[in-house]
Amino acid sequence: MYLYAAQASLGDDVYHEPSTLALEAHVAKLTGKEAALFLPSGTMSNQIALRTHLKQPPYSVLCDQRAHINTYEAGGTAFHSGAHSTPVIPSNRHHITLEDVQANIVLGSDLHCAPTEVVALENTLNGTIFPQDEIVRISDYVHSHGLKMHLDGARIWHVAAETGTTIKELCDPFDSVSLCMSKGLGAPIGSCLVGPKDYIRRARWFRKLFGGGMRQTGLLAAACAYALTYNFPQLPRVHTLARRLEQGLEDLGVKITSGAETCMVRLLTFLIVRNTHSLSKVFFDPSPLGISYYELVTRANELPNPIKLGGSRLVVHIQTSPEAVEDFLALVQELAEEKKKGGFVPESNGHVETNGAPYSNIYVRAGKK
Amino acid sequence: MYLYAAQASLGDDVYHEPSTLALEAHVAKLTGKEAALFLPSGTMSNQIALRTHLKQPPYSVLCDQRAHINTYEAGGTAFHSGAHSTPVIPSNRHHLTLEDVQANIVLGSDLHCAPTEVVALENTLNGTIFPQDEIVRISDYVHSHGLKMHLDGARIWHVAAETGTTVKELCDPFDSVSLCMSKGLGAPIGSCLVGPKDYIRRARWFRKLFGGGMRQTGLLAASCAYALTYNFPQLPRVHTLARRLEQGLEDLGVKITSGAETCMVRLLTFPIVRNTHSFSKVFFDPSPLGISYYELVTRANELPNPIKLGGSRLVVHIQTSPEAVEDFLALVKELAEEKKKDGFLPESNGHVETNGAPYSNIYVRAGKK
Repeated sequence: MYLYAAQASLGDDVYHEPSTLALEAHVAKLTGKEAALFLPSGTMSNQIALRTHLKQPPYSVLCDQRAHINTYEAGGTAFHSGAHSTPVIPSNRHHITLEDVQANIVLGSDLHCAPTEVVALENTLNGTIFPQDEIVRISDYVHSHGLKMHLDGARIWHVAAETGTTIKELCDPFDSVSLCMSKGLGAPIGSCLVGPKDYIRRARWFRKLFGGGMRQTGLLAAACAYALTYNFPQLPRVHTLARRLEQGLEDLGVKITSGAETCMVRLLTFLIVRNTHSLSKVFFDPSPLGISYYELVTRANELPNPIKLGGSRLVVHIQTSPEAVEDFLALVQELAEEKKKGGFVPESNGHVETNGAPYSNIYVRAGKK
Repeated sequence: MYLYAAQASLGDDVYHEPSTLALEAHVAKLTGKEAALFLPSGTMSNQIALRTHLKQPPYSVLCDQRAHINTYEAGGTAFHSGAHSTPVIPSNRHHLTLEDVQANIVLGSDLHCAPTEVVALENTLNGTIFPQDEIVRISDYVHSHGLKMHLDGARIWHVAAETGTTVKELCDPFDSVSLCMSKGLGAPIGSCLVGPKDYIRRARWFRKLFGGGMRQTGLLAASCAYALTYNFPQLPRVHTLARRLEQGLEDLGVKITSGAETCMVRLLTFPIVRNTHSFSKVFFDPSPLGISYYELVTRANELPNPIKLGGSRLVVHIQTSPEAVEDFLALVKELAEEKKKDGFLPESNGHVETNGAPYSNIYVRAGKK
């Protein structure tokens, strides 16, 4: 990737940078939008997307309560745009439905209110896939009220790889989409925001204002292009491996809080409606076996081939080897047996009290006991 | 540079990126500050610097009217911090003095006012050097009132190279300094903000908020490190070449609007107090010879070895060859002779009306006639 990147052009992305312009044109075409903008991060991409849609307050943004723009962008929506947020907990605990949107959208001109101006969805969210037909229902409704649709599609590639739907079709219901090449695709840095030409022209101005106007971005853009070409086709393999991981954990009695729909696995202690498509992320909770995150993280780090874990989220990616997955499963089994020997008795009904609030964040970071 | 950069670490700069941390530690040490923060651009560096100093409005920032933070950051000071700006035209037309600051600083708690909270200086500004003893006078005064000093030191390296003053000594009078590795030092991307530990910790939070939290920044940080080591020592040579350029232009009768103090040359139509140190930038105005910027830019582009010009600013850098400078001077001479043949008469008093307003921006971009 670096060898390819070193051959990129040496322009100045504030004025004219050929390799970067080529990437932007390519991503625009891929997503079926008029134009694209290269950005240093997904956070800036989402924040500029919202900022460019929002004209004059008061206004609000409706989104999933677990969404990145609501939880991990340091309050950017309020800070950069002065926008109120309407975070919605999906009634089906998996994805927002049209009914959720209708129940929470703010319409009209009541002086007390900050009317909804943008509905922002995320796909994938915690590695789970948002059913496209529901997205279309929401989009038709939102557009019928003259409002905007934004997609945080940082990991949209996984949806395309798993469902066989084209990126363009996945992006069609949205006015703007934020895509990330620096996650599952493996490029070092870079996101793209796509949308209409005038919208992206304005977004470019905000990019400079936010300090995202970098200089010789050719090498970064080339790395992204490389990732799109060579790493994207590897995603189906990654998803298969994530499913192996999830199955292995379930067999051991570990609770899955959010299934391997794409590349992540997590576990929950309450039932969720799980999308039967499996991808690359698993969220898990090993407490049914008496294991804490911290122990697992520590022991995984001490393996002959150390495995790096953060907490409840397991992400499988293009550089994850099948051996690593097997090592991890073997470690969980070993720990479970130690606990049993130590006298731990698993609850017979399979229900364990952990962080029991119905909308606790399933993304738990391992911390010291 | 790229070969070196490809060997950098592959961490995640939002959490932990070893090569980037190493660069930050190095730059902090170099500047004599407690900590440093790697950023995608000088604009973000300055804006975050101000944002982190400014606690609660109303407040204002005092700076030179020509400063980058006042003219080229898309209104960032107002947008990101809600801060009023007090832009000051230096009475000596070269750099702000303590008297300029005293005449314009806003102190006290008059309800009508937005008191000054930060005095932001720039060195170099348009390639000219700010005398260090004047900086110290201003700093002592500002600090005596409990206010902060920020330095936009994007090109501070040129001051160090030309005056032999250490970067640390140049930074000492300031609470925070913004430095750029992607300008004269030649790295593709990257600025560093330096300051006290708690200040930089808060700045890091703003960096995430602004969307500047990039991921695998190792390769960028390594490029900056390479530039610091191998390109910084080349600056004296660059400055010598800029002086040759300036002298050559003066000999031809072209007016210099801002002398080659470091790496830039510009021309003015009225006398300025020019610092006798010459550096790498020259601002010029060829109209005394009857030549327009546009013609010069076009003809320079048509040379056997084309030269890229933007307008009134000529920047000499580490990749500028002496032959390029001679080619350029030869072209100016050729154009001057063409004009003479056509009957152009230079004004005998040497005074030409161009953009005559006393504080017009000397940075003129060439446009179509």
